[in-house]
Amino acid sequence: MTDLTATRTASPTRAPSRKDRSEDDAITLRRREKRLAAIFLAPTVIGLGLFVVIPIIASVVLAFFRWDVISSPKWAGLDNFNSLFTDPTLRSAFVNTIFFVVATVILQLSVALGLAVLVQSRMPRWLQSTLRSVFFFPIILSAASVSIIMSYLFNQQFGLVNTYLHDLGFGSIPWFTNGFSAQVMIILIYVWQNFGFTFLLFLGGLAGIPRDVYEASAIDGAKGWRQFVHITLPLLSPTTLVASVMAIISALQIFDQPYVITQGGPGNSTETVVMVIYQDAFGQLQFGTASAIGVLLTIVIMLVTALQFRLSRRFVYYS
Amino acid sequence: MTDITRRAALGVAGLGALAALTAGFPRLSGLDIPGRHGNELRVALNGTQQQAAQQAALVKTFEAEHPDIKVVMIPIQATDWGQFFAKILTMVAAGTPPDVVNVATEGAQLFANKLAEPLDSYVQRPADRAAMQDYFSDVHPSLIESFMFKGSLYQLPSNFNAANIFLSNAALHKAGHDYPPDDWTKDDFLAMLRAIKKTSPGAVPFYWTNRMWGGVTPWLYINNTSILHETKSPAGAAEKWLWNGFYRGVAAARGRSGGPLWLHAQATIDPVEETFELLREMVRDGLSSSPASGGGGALVPQFASGRVATTTAGGYWVDGLHQAGVKNDQYDVQFMPKWKSQSHQFGASGWSMMRSSPRKEQAWAWLKFCSTRRGMFLSAPTPTTTPCRRSLCAAKVEIDGVTHPYYAAEGPKHWRVFYETLDRFPGTGPFTAPPSEPAIELALDKNTINAVTGNSRQLRAALRSLQGDLTRALETTS
Repeated sequence: MTDLTATRTASPTRAPSRKDRSEDDAITLRRREKRLAAIFLAPTVIGLGLFVVIPIIASVVLAFFRWDVISSPKWAGLDNFNSLFTDPTLRSAFVNTIFFVVATVILQLSVALGLAVLVQSRMPRWLQSTLRSVFFFPIILSAASVSIIMSYLFNQQFGLVNTYLHDLGFGSIPWFTNGFSAQVMIILIYVWQNFGFTFLLFLGGLAGIPRDVYEASAIDGAKGWRQFVHITLPLLSPTTLVASVMAIISALQIFDQPYVITQGGPGNSTETVVMVIYQDAFGQLQFGTASAIGVLLTIVIMLVTALQFRLSRRFVYYS
Repeated sequence: MTDITRRAALGVAGLGALAALTAGFPRLSGLDIPGRHGNELRVALNGTQQQAAQQAALVKTFEAEHPDIKVVMIPIQATDWGQFFAKILTMVAAGTPPDVVNVATEGAQLFANKLAEPLDSYVQRPADRAAMQDYFSDVHPSLIESFMFKGSLYQLPSNFNAANIFLSNAALHKAGHDYPPDDWTKDDFLAMLRAIKKTSPGAVPFYWTNRMWGGVTPWLYINNTSILHETKSPAGAAEKWLWNGFYRGVAAARGRSGGPLWLHAQATIDPVEETFELLREMVRDGLSSSPASGGGGALVPQFASGRVATTTAGGYWVDGLHQAGVKNDQYDVQFMPKWKSQSHQFGASGWSMMRSSPRKEQAWAWLKFCSTRRGMFLSAPTPTTTPCRRSLCAAKVEIDGVTHPYYAAEGPKHWRVFYETLDRFPGTGPFTAPPSEPAIELALDKNTINAVTGNSRQLRAALRSLQGDLTRALETTS
């Protein structure tokens, strides 16, 4: 703007040339575009700032204080972080969470990929779209509602499942009252509810693989399993990377299912890191410690994601 | 058909968004939070909008008596008291705390420790002395003591529930048993369960829920023990104005304290292990269900259908069973059986005045009104709980010259058990609820399942784990 004004005042009598006019137009257009871009971006930036950036900064700051909501925060230095390393509950919650992540991610990716390949294979169009809806359906349900219904269905004493099993001559199975079976059940319920999104990602990825690659490989004698291993899997690797990053991040934050169904029990067998954060904050009124665990979990998630992207250089095939 | 340009469409969309923003401004800016900018008395209770609406008669009568006070009832939906208090704390953090909160035993000490205003000076006001004397004369001292913390009174309890044994008459008769005597023992109870198991193969002889109220705790109490070591605060000034004042000459008030204190965990001591062992054996022998999480509500249909023969429940169950179609003569209620003692556990609730409230006088007016016979009756006109006033725990209740059927309309034959639990057993008291109660309850729930569903070795390991969890919970809030 300054340059333009300077040019105009330096030669007030000279009529603007066609070049000058087109430069003016270009500058005006760029300004308008910038303004428009700012207007369109503003809601997202404001939203992100208010609901993501500020809370993140606040929780990092809070991690260095002792605060119970009721009294004023008191400076705690690194005490909140130091206490994490001696807390056996948090240690077992991390172990449980890692177990959940490994199991759910492997299951979720395998089930989603298997079903995506199945749906993509030769079958009537109406059946394809029906199956797509059916597999995606659980993800739109509320996790809390699903958990409540599951806890009723699998109630050891009066649950529908045990009632039928009893009629078939089986004993009463302690689905949620035995540490290991409770872990398995939480994993299965979580995977059942969440694989739909990964399934859609894989469907998209499969649709993007050119048919001629399969045709060429068929001419060379490759079929079925070999095509899957040598064509589908490598060409699907970018999708697999995205799906696995999202699945891991989501599984590291598992909360609803164990909170509603088992409250972390029996013992500490289904207690996860986010449950400890909730319990420390709202059960013990230790918002500083809870924030410190939150910071730690965020660092873990960032490290795992960074590691995945680093490994992807070796395993992901982009061209 | 008229063409709509992109610019026109964007303009219309923009105008629409602006209109929506204007319409939603009170919500977005929090202007519509009840009582935030007005001078209403904000009263929070644990319940649904429907339950808040059920208090309409109470609010209406209060407002008629106090035309200068407008009450806004704020229902807070929560699955348990821990979640309720978490939501109240969120309101505190947001700068919109209520003036009065309905607080149960679970949160009594948490509130007393951090949020509630002590009522000592209020109840001693000369102008209110007669009303308070009427209240204390009608309420058992153990209920009052349960809401005292470090020598001060923080609530005027309005209702309570002691854990009694509910019995299905059909299952009992089928097993050849009659209604048990008041002084029945743990062994009598076990014999009854064995008989029920034999004669009603499809039914669960004894069902219990895994939670603080009504879970393991009643069994610990009749075995004269607890997972936390209980001491008492000195009564201090309350000795004079309360126990030797309002309760002068009342035998049950003699030796009462300034409130219970739970400072140390003792989950691994022998009596505690012995109690868990009893429950483990009951589960192992099929006399009892494997404990499931949850409240008593889900159990009503099971008891109503005869699939559950006996269970621990309190006066709050009467209306629930009535609503489920259970006739008064289909079930009955009896004290917990005697083991080393017959002390019961109870949970109570009442209204608590928030320390932060700028409307303390109005809040006190509400507390006082709710402690009157009329107020207490209006808050629970049917047996959805056990009223703290003895005179309301009756077959028929007379309020303002009108006689209302209470237990005469719905309730088991031996409904007197509900209040007599306090009179008959001096050791009866609140369940263990220090300021860190949510963490204590969670620790108990998580470890109980392991303790009672495995072998003796697993039981001891679970108790060690419980001891660790309890110790940490007590340390972090001490």
